[in-house]
Amino acid sequence: MSESTTYDAIVVGSGMTGGWAAKELTEKGMKTLVLEAGRPIVPEQDYVEHVPQWEMKFRGLGDRRRLAEDQPIQSTCYACDEWSSKFFINDKEHPYTTEPGKPFRWIRGRQVGGRSIMWGRQSYRLSDLDFEANLREGIAIDWPIRYADIAPWYDYVEDFVGISGEAMGLAQLPDSRFLPPMEMNCTERSVRERLAKHFGGERILTIGRVAILTQDHRGRAACHYCGPCERGCITRSYFSSVNATLPAAEKTGRMTLRPFSVVHSVSFDAKTRKATGVRVIDAQTRVAVEFRAKLVFLCASALESVRILFNSSTPEFPNGLANSSGELGHNLMDHVKAGGATATIPGNEDYLEIGRRPNGIYMPRFRNIKSKQPEFLRGYGFQGGAHRDGWGRGVVQTGFGADFKKSLSRPGPWRFGFHGFGECLPNHSNFVELDKNTVDAWGMPTLKIHCAWSENELALRKDMGIAAAEMLAAVGGRSIEPYAGDDPPGFTIHEMGTARMGRDPRNSVLNSFNQAHDVKNLFITDGGAMVSSSCVNPSLTYMALTARACDYAVGQTKKGEL
Amino acid sequence: MQRREALRLLATGTALQLAPQKLFAVLREARSLIQSQPSPRALKTHQYATVKTIAELILPRTETPGATDVGVADFVDLMLTEWYDEPERNRFLAGLADVDSRTKTLFGKDFLECSSVQQSEILIALGQQIAGEAGSSRSQRLNNAAASHGSHFYSMMRHLTLTAYYTSEAGATAELHFEIIPDRYQGCGTTPSGKEGLKQQ
Repeated sequence: MSESTTYDAIVVGSGMTGGWAAKELTEKGMKTLVLEAGRPIVPEQDYVEHVPQWEMKFRGLGDRRRLAEDQPIQSTCYACDEWSSKFFINDKEHPYTTEPGKPFRWIRGRQVGGRSIMWGRQSYRLSDLDFEANLREGIAIDWPIRYADIAPWYDYVEDFVGISGEAMGLAQLPDSRFLPPMEMNCTERSVRERLAKHFGGERILTIGRVAILTQDHRGRAACHYCGPCERGCITRSYFSSVNATLPAAEKTGRMTLRPFSVVHSVSFDAKTRKATGVRVIDAQTRVAVEFRAKLVFLCASALESVRILFNSSTPEFPNGLANSSGELGHNLMDHVKAGGATATIPGNEDYLEIGRRPNGIYMPRFRNIKSKQPEFLRGYGFQGGAHRDGWGRGVVQTGFGADFKKSLSRPGPWRFGFHGFGECLPNHSNFVELDKNTVDAWGMPTLKIHCAWSENELALRKDMGIAAAEMLAAVGGRSIEPYAGDDPPGFTIHEMGTARMGRDPRNSVLNSFNQAHDVKNLFITDGGAMVSSSCVNPSLTYMALTARACDYAVGQTKKGEL
Repeated sequence: MQRREALRLLATGTALQLAPQKLFAVLREARSLIQSQPSPRALKTHQYATVKTIAELILPRTETPGATDVGVADFVDLMLTEWYDEPERNRFLAGLADVDSRTKTLFGKDFLECSSVQQSEILIALGQQIAGEAGSSRSQRLNNAAASHGSHFYSMMRHLTLTAYYTSEAGATAELHFEIIPDRYQGCGTTPSGKEGLKQQ
């Protein structure tokens, strides 16, 4: 039985954006091949969210020696734990290099679903405050789109995804089409009220906007509050490509999903100046296979899509396919975090949380909105929330015996945390290049990453700790602990910007529809397309841009333009 | 009810079974630990017994199971054998030996031979040592990873004891009110009141 090698469209990657491209293209009638480098995922076997700690050999502490050996980078991520480490790559198989003194932490998942299985699920719209920022400040290049261009596509994807949240009517953080919000707990409500009094409505606390269902939605069940979404969800209550978009694409009968397919390069016809398909290394047999299609969508993540294009050089494009601008791989961004504060909030001792809400609070950006901050451009949002301390507090106490045990069976004090996520400015000197001397387990050249925070990001991080501590003091917090960590770029796992959109082919890789300026039937719809980073979690924007690009690509194909 | 029942069936654990089973849980868990670990590997018999005794002093059997009931000493042995590195293991074992040195100096006998009052005196002294551990912030001290690598034997011992106990089936479901599938979120919840008071979930 021979495998079909010709399709209408090829989608590289099956995660957050690959799933959307698969759904949109197949629903619009395209016979689509979805290539995934990793293994298949069978929810009934692979999801482990209901496996209790007592069934884990190390009770959730992880197999430390194996992690140190196979996943020393990945296991620094909270989600790469004893249950979920199988959703993260083996670092030994996937090397990358950095410059001395410029660490970059690259957290990756290679399986059907990609990182959409373990993502943080926070979902926010960008606004014109974001889309106009580069132009207003003379930073990098202008976005070729505005909020009005993407707003209907936010509506479109949100209707399918299901985003729970609270409508606030804020200009800097447009509302989504929300399902009912998750509940704030008593201490979060107290803090919200006190902040409103102290900061005159400038600092607003709301519940996180999250791609988790609070009611049954489009055949998926409401959340049952078991807690650890990053281990999977058998009721498909949080959005992932495995839980939602890939089944929709499958339903059309027009999707061929091919796991274990490591895309080596995009093939290019110099006469037509179009992509003709992709070359694949079968991850299991190591045999090379070529697939052909009229459309190629790269949805492999900001760094992996760029790696494929660098590896697809031709005489016409010696520095990487679709890279006549020289911007491919440049302007790498991530959000800056590791700034914030925690405090004990007295009161509400008669109440506790029942159920594990897989979501926290959100404080929309408040810096450089009404007043101007002299120390930095742009701003940050806070995530976090209030929880009562658990039994872990007993480790650092000194008591023992029956009374001690009894005290630990009770919840501890309420502790509130604000944790900042700040915007990163696009910077040409943050870039990746192909490292031909280091190959991965499939013989693919790897990336050398050159990336460091600028003064602006460091100033944002510093301000996060100050502003968070100030708020916790204002609401009556005790034992306030501000912090400023040294997380390297990459560790917020929002890498983006490496194939930016723009109006001018001389300084951008993609046009306003994620179409490569140089290769008209090639689209990149992952985080690579971002022109600036905003400070909000980016996946929702990637999804909206992907759906929009698919609509455009199919329209152009039908018109005979591609 | 139907949805709740369906969710229960999806749960891979058996913790959703209610009160009478909790008693069996203790036995089942102890048995499975015995089966999976025929004999201690890092701890010699005397060390194992000392660990077991200290753990039971920290979290004794009351109206709910204690450290011995859930096999804390077996977990400590597993961690020493397969998780800690050599310096950490040596630090732990040296700390354990120091416990006997202390009792020999003070009471002229091994820790295991001491009265519970004498044993408690030693734990109080060890507690004073870790309380004085310098410089760490509250959040650092609460960080399990930091505590598990803690510089002091007694910090490690407390971390291992509490982890093994509260993550055991009996600890999570009989001592605490852990539910695998709560199927609700209440941000201002209360547990059945009365003399029990609030119970951690």
